[in-house]
Amino acid sequence: MTELEIKNVSKHFGGLKAVDQFDLSIEKNQIFGLIGPNGAGKSTLFNCVAGVYAPTSGQVIFRGDEITGMKPWDICKKRIARTFQIVKPFKMKTVLYNTMVGAFIRSTNPAEVRDMALDVLERLKLADKKDTLAKNLTIADRKRLELARAMATDPEILLLDECMAGLRPNEVDAVLEIIRGIRDGGVTIFVIEHIMRAIMSVSDRIAVIHFGKKIAEGTPAEVSTDEKVIKAYLGESYVAT
Amino acid sequence: MTKETLDKIFKVVLVVGVFTLPLWMSSPAYLQIVILMFWYAYITTSWNMVGGWAGVLPLGHSAYIGIGAYTSTVLAIHYGVSPWIGMFIGGVLASLVGIIIGIPTLKMRGAYFALSTMAFGEGVRVFVENTDKLGPFVLNGPRGICIPLQESFANFQFMSKVPYYYIILIMLCLALFVTWYMSRIRIGYYLNAGGEESEAAEALGVNVAKYKVIAMGISCFMTALAGTFYAQLMLYFYPKALLGLDLSFEIAFISLIGGRGTLAGPVIGALLLRPVTDFSRIYFSSMLPGLHLVIYGLILILIMLYQPRGLQAPLSKFYDWLLNKITGNAVKKEVKS
Amino acid sequence: MDFIIQAIVSGTLMGSIYGLAALGLTLIFGVIKVINFAHGSCLMVGMYTAYWVVKLTGVNPYFALIVVVPLLFVFGYFLEDLLINPVLKAQGDVREPTEIIVVTSGVWYILDNITLMMFGAEYRVVQTAISGKSFELGQIIVSTPKLYGFIATIIVSLALVWFLKSTKIGKSIRAASLDREAASLMGINQYRMYNIAFGIGTAIMGVVGCVLIPFYYVFPTVGVIFDVKCFIIVVLGGLGSIPGALIGGVIVGLIESIGAQFMTSTWTELIVYAVFLTVLFVMPSGLFGEKRDW
Repeated sequence: MTELEIKNVSKHFGGLKAVDQFDLSIEKNQIFGLIGPNGAGKSTLFNCVAGVYAPTSGQVIFRGDEITGMKPWDICKKRIARTFQIVKPFKMKTVLYNTMVGAFIRSTNPAEVRDMALDVLERLKLADKKDTLAKNLTIADRKRLELARAMATDPEILLLDECMAGLRPNEVDAVLEIIRGIRDGGVTIFVIEHIMRAIMSVSDRIAVIHFGKKIAEGTPAEVSTDEKVIKAYLGESYVAT
Repeated sequence: MTKETLDKIFKVVLVVGVFTLPLWMSSPAYLQIVILMFWYAYITTSWNMVGGWAGVLPLGHSAYIGIGAYTSTVLAIHYGVSPWIGMFIGGVLASLVGIIIGIPTLKMRGAYFALSTMAFGEGVRVFVENTDKLGPFVLNGPRGICIPLQESFANFQFMSKVPYYYIILIMLCLALFVTWYMSRIRIGYYLNAGGEESEAAEALGVNVAKYKVIAMGISCFMTALAGTFYAQLMLYFYPKALLGLDLSFEIAFISLIGGRGTLAGPVIGALLLRPVTDFSRIYFSSMLPGLHLVIYGLILILIMLYQPRGLQAPLSKFYDWLLNKITGNAVKKEVKS
Repeated sequence: MDFIIQAIVSGTLMGSIYGLAALGLTLIFGVIKVINFAHGSCLMVGMYTAYWVVKLTGVNPYFALIVVVPLLFVFGYFLEDLLINPVLKAQGDVREPTEIIVVTSGVWYILDNITLMMFGAEYRVVQTAISGKSFELGQIIVSTPKLYGFIATIIVSLALVWFLKSTKIGKSIRAASLDREAASLMGINQYRMYNIAFGIGTAIMGVVGCVLIPFYYVFPTVGVIFDVKCFIIVVLGGLGSIPGALIGGVIVGLIESIGAQFMTSTWTELIVYAVFLTVLFVMPSGLFGEKRDW
């Protein structure tokens, strides 16, 4: 069953076509990756799905319901959660408090919400830092917190915006394991990532965006040998002819 | 004795002391000063709901004090409505006005919001100062309104200052309780989150603008009650006393200096700064008019440069140190990160 | 009909002077992205400085510019350096720290009241060669000092535009206004740029001071009146926009002068507030500002 359908979505900023007639279908419980050179339009596409922007044209459909142009908080209520590329923790609050903010969408009972948040933190291995102020966390932990907050809303679809940028290789591996664990828990994951080995190893399918347009889609193996993709990332001379 | 026990003892002594104050402070003049101190603490606590948590800077809150005072007084004088009921009506009216103003302005960036509230506050003052009659209601323009002396509980008037003291004390406790309770339930978390990082909060399901408007409504309701209290305490008020930039700014600054967004901050600010203002006004204003405002300005600048989170931060640390010292605990070294 | 034209003429002249006062504010607003609540007080300082220079030396207020403008520039420069930059540095990642509002308000309180203590509350006025003079243009009476003010406004505005577009410092200021960190990566000391921008903004208040003293009373709280008007004008015209400040000023001037024909000054004040609030709700970026998600 198609969880998320992006139908012919375009986003223009004045004369700039940041996203140009993009089509995508994501199946339930898939890990779907989106890659592309810098400035290709990945985050803009995400923001169109997450409600930060309303698309200039096209539709975003979640399980048959149209969610095009809905506000971010309503989209979250539809069980679609997202993380931010530049993490935005509530710095002056503890890890637990941060996570509880996410969990409050599921219940209004503070005690219940606290338990839900602790549960998420356990699963993401952040529970030992629950009383640490967010501003005192390392960058790896802040990214983990970003993930925990989003997971606290108990989403059906998780949009991850470059959650591994700036992490060391062993930290990347830890996050990959967490992402697989989240998928095993039944969540569909749509991932933007730059670190090639990470996204290649974890994604079921990958789409490639370049200057706002989709230039390739397929399994990691198919995409990595696609001529157009190689040209876009590395230049003409690398295409094996 | 443990630190916790000592802390509890201090708190009990404080509560008992405050609740029995009229018994050992018999001078009505001093009592009046304390009443006004608590009155400011009540207003700053109410302001804090928007200015502390919602993360914006309202600079026109005196308008709501005025709405409260004028509503209950006009209803009492011309329609015989008890000021207690009038107080509630004034609160509701102020809340509605605050919500109407809040809906478009709370979406704006900080600077624009501050300016809008200023413009609105000043607009209200100018309007009231120049209006003698608003439809059937007599506002009396710049001359203000005098409340005829008619002592009774129903009329919210008392010969002695002591009932007023307890009323404002209860109001302050209620305001603090409401603030404390809200911080523990969803609306508190959402407001804090929205005030700190609104984009992240929105992605977590928080309609930030809506919650800010709710906070505004509650805050304006509470603030208006203070207007009625003042009217009943002084039995006379006029636009310059309760409306306008001076009072609005004073409220904001006291809260900022005490520490916005915290429970104790606004109260600490009021309790510390009001005496400074009163003291310098009484002793210096004849020799050097305006000196108290210069001092005030200096304190403001120093606090913002060196303790932007307000005085409650160093004061809490000091209190902690004091507890440790007295109970002989080794002072724990803070892990700086 | 004549009195309407008279009102339009007077309103435009006075409005241009308001615009000049708002120019400094829009520059500061646009470059450093902070509200300077001490703006009116800087104007007051400009007026008192001009007053004393003229009173003590008897020169034409426009000659007093030579003394007043550099003095005010230095004053603004150091005000920014000592009080505002430290806050900006401490709150590096906050775009518009509210501490600035409090600090500048503290400066406002201090300046206004030190002036009160030093010079007393009385309204002062100084007789200059052009005070009270006017000339007739057909049926319209044009106030000479206001006309000089209008001309001064045009000259200062053009000079400012030229400065920002064509000089190295001017371009650096514009760069620093767009993005603090990016500018510093380009080798621009953004804090020094703020000092200069603030100094220029205050220096302009010196010009306004000289322009005003032939016909305006000087007293310690004169700044407050202009302060509120300037904020309204800056928002109306669009933050950071020079033509916006001037046109906004003229709009306010016109509302006042045309309104004065039909109602008292306090009601025109209310109309100005109402217009301000309406513009904020309907067109928050103002007439000429850039569109942002306000």
